[in-house]
Amino acid sequence: MFGDDVDEGDVLVSLCDLKTYYGEDSLLSDDPVKAVDGVSFDIHKGETLGLVGESGCGKTTLGRTLIQLEDATAGEVRIGDTDVTTLTGDDLQRWRRNSQMVFQDPESSLNDRMTVGAIIREPLDVHDWKTPRERRARVRELLDTVGLSEEHYYRYPHQFSGGQRQRVGIARALALEPEFVVLDEPVSALDVSVQAQILNLLNRLQDEFGLTYLFIAHDLSVVRHICDRVAVMYLGNVMELGPTERLFQQPQNPYTHALLSAIPEPDPTADSDRITLTGSPPSPRDPPAGCPFATRCPMKIRPPEYDSVDTEVWARVEMLREVLRERSNADRSLTERAREILGLSSRFSSADEVHDELFADVTLPAAVEDHIEEAMDHVRNDNETRARAQLREAFGSVCDEERPKSHVVDDESGTSRCHRHRDEHDEPSRSQVVSE
Amino acid sequence: MATTVETTFRERLTRQPGPATKWLGVLLVLVALQFGAVMQTIMSTVPWGTIGGALPATAPWAALAGVGDALADLPTLLARDVIPNQGYQVPGEGWQGTFMGLSPAAAWGIRVSLVYLYSFGFVGWLGYGYLVFRRHYRAADWTPYDDMLGRLDGHRWGQFGLVVVLMFIVMALFAPTLGPTTVQSNIAEPFSHELQYFDENAGEVTTILVGEANLQSVSKGGGGRNVGPMQYDRYDRFHPFGTLPSGKDLFTFMVAGARVSLFIGLLYISLAAGLAVVLALVTAYYKGLADLTVVIAGDSVQALPQLLVLILLSFVLSDTWIAGIYNGGLLLALIFAITGWPYLWRAVRGPALQVSNEEWIDAAKSFGQRPVTTMRKHMLPYVVGYLLIYASLSLGGAIIGVAGLSFLGLGVNPPTPEWGRAVSAGQPYVATASWHISLIPGIMVVIIVTAFNALGDGIRDAVDPQSEAGSNEVAAGGGGA
Repeated sequence: MFGDDVDEGDVLVSLCDLKTYYGEDSLLSDDPVKAVDGVSFDIHKGETLGLVGESGCGKTTLGRTLIQLEDATAGEVRIGDTDVTTLTGDDLQRWRRNSQMVFQDPESSLNDRMTVGAIIREPLDVHDWKTPRERRARVRELLDTVGLSEEHYYRYPHQFSGGQRQRVGIARALALEPEFVVLDEPVSALDVSVQAQILNLLNRLQDEFGLTYLFIAHDLSVVRHICDRVAVMYLGNVMELGPTERLFQQPQNPYTHALLSAIPEPDPTADSDRITLTGSPPSPRDPPAGCPFATRCPMKIRPPEYDSVDTEVWARVEMLREVLRERSNADRSLTERAREILGLSSRFSSADEVHDELFADVTLPAAVEDHIEEAMDHVRNDNETRARAQLREAFGSVCDEERPKSHVVDDESGTSRCHRHRDEHDEPSRSQVVSE
Repeated sequence: MATTVETTFRERLTRQPGPATKWLGVLLVLVALQFGAVMQTIMSTVPWGTIGGALPATAPWAALAGVGDALADLPTLLARDVIPNQGYQVPGEGWQGTFMGLSPAAAWGIRVSLVYLYSFGFVGWLGYGYLVFRRHYRAADWTPYDDMLGRLDGHRWGQFGLVVVLMFIVMALFAPTLGPTTVQSNIAEPFSHELQYFDENAGEVTTILVGEANLQSVSKGGGGRNVGPMQYDRYDRFHPFGTLPSGKDLFTFMVAGARVSLFIGLLYISLAAGLAVVLALVTAYYKGLADLTVVIAGDSVQALPQLLVLILLSFVLSDTWIAGIYNGGLLLALIFAITGWPYLWRAVRGPALQVSNEEWIDAAKSFGQRPVTTMRKHMLPYVVGYLLIYASLSLGGAIIGVAGLSFLGLGVNPPTPEWGRAVSAGQPYVATASWHISLIPGIMVVIIVTAFNALGDGIRDAVDPQSEAGSNEVAAGGGGA
């Protein structure tokens, strides 16, 4: 029922507007955590698709949803004619044979009260694979395949190094001969010297068994080394997806650009043209209404009437909006919330200080100043929601209001989500970068 | 393919049969010594009559049954009648009716020593078997459990606990053999049994009812009305721990009481621990609503004052049919289990939650392992060590609890022996010559509860070497009377 008839290079797994939210069904929940918020892309048979992004951007959740460790909230994971998010019971059990996962932490992914042989054999036992004797023989064969030796059958994970343990994890994932393997940061817990060995092993296995990988990582150099295509995730969204070399050399999306800037340059004299992102990603409980990256984007589109405003001044204005936004998301204790509801006071009474700090050394154009003063009045009256709305109305653009669509940005059908790909705006390029 | 190194346990056994044969040889000796008892168990527990009735009544079958009965009558090393200690002394002729004419004290001492030698020999045989298996037949050269046993190796405090606990268990198992007399003849129905003694006034061997002899052997303070530890009464009966105020033998009372305590304790622990571990695994695996429900249930039960509930329930239910089973022992065990499980559940919930967050649980889910198997294979081994620790500690608590209840006159009904009742009976004589009645059972309770705690400490240090010895916040919890 899974991918056997798919040719090399054809679509094997197809994600369609996949959403995974956490904490919806909890009794005392606020907004759900939107870990994966509408992701669509295809994974081709035999390729390695990299999935990169900052910590907490939802890449691991996406991987876990793909192998049905998490239930999808909405959307589809289509393999052939089957939507695997709707599988249950025996169908799901049968399907599980075909997609496996290699976990991040080899210390935690192997039960150290079981022998290595029993660990690798367990998937075979679960799916009643042939006879017990054949299973044991298969385990020995797998040990050999991943570069361990047969004598290791009755050893315990304690007796192995991190790299060897990860090999055991890989052998377990391969036991049922899956088509599709999710590699969740498989080398990030290992020494650099061992990382290369494991990556080479993964490459060799892919050639040998025709595997399809989803390679989740935050180490961009590893991704560049091993992946055919790369998807860049931010706040539950795939911002850009494209062939590895094109993406690394000519990133089209401002976020990809910023992410790649974070790769350390070995040559200290090299002309550095970096984008350093300020602040932290917004809370996935309350993502921005428009572009997910709008709150930190250095290339954000301005309303036409402010085009002439000085870059430095504009950056301060955006920063004020960011500060107000952060404050609304900050954790507040029950008492504080109660006091706020009762209109007693909030703990945020330092709005003027923020204002002074931001705007003391710049001269604001009159049009800008009016709006800011009006917003500050709302803040002083303890109505920050109102202040935020007012600022958005005054200074917001399409980036704040509309979720960017996926635009094809290269001739290999790579895509990027950014309003600047639309004809009426300039393409995102370095000239618009707001430098610090 | 590499099937050549594949060896099964049987293949390893046939390749090197020596050590296993030696081990089985020791078993044969041990069984031979008690062969009669083994056959007796087989002949008496299996309903041969029913089976024989179903089969055609043929001569060979009848002969076989006869052989079985004959074998069951074979003398066994540890039977009372092989080394009898009940006899009487005739002046000039020495002891009559005892083992090889020895004094009752010596005969009794030999029997007790043999029982303990045999039992520790059996335990040693089990340990030796494990070592033989580990050295010669186990496929893995090392397992994590080796390290745990290794840590127990140098743990003197834990070993002390283990030895005392084993002695206690042997005492309970061999209670009828260990006593200088039997519960039936001396405690339960003394007026239905007789004994012979040499009456100095009459100058001849006379027969008297045990009950009447008891009345002349009471321990009620001083003035000739006391039979202390290691003393003979005037009917030449030997009392290792002296007698009770009723004249009954305290040692016989104690060994039979050990049985009752151990039965209640073990039943309580298996029920409570079973419930605790199942709930802990289920709540840790599913979390959410399941966890919340059990937390509320557990907290509600824990909010009840356990001792008061015990007293109340054992009083309220004392006239029902359930109080009749094992003289109220079953009822006590059930009440202990119902009020005591949250304590054990709390103790293993932490480790269970911790292990449920390991990635190997996700891995098991990802290839479709069934939840029950995941709990058993991937969670239980990490929880069971902690369960043993707390089970051992609360078993001591249960023994105190049972003794405390019977001290108050609740719980196990007389005449079934219970240690707390001995303490209670001796209370008026604590400051007199009959101090032994309260003191000996009291010290025994202290020693055994300490031993269970020591064993728990030992297991904890073996299972979880990071936890420093000294955090004894759980010691002697549970019953806490």
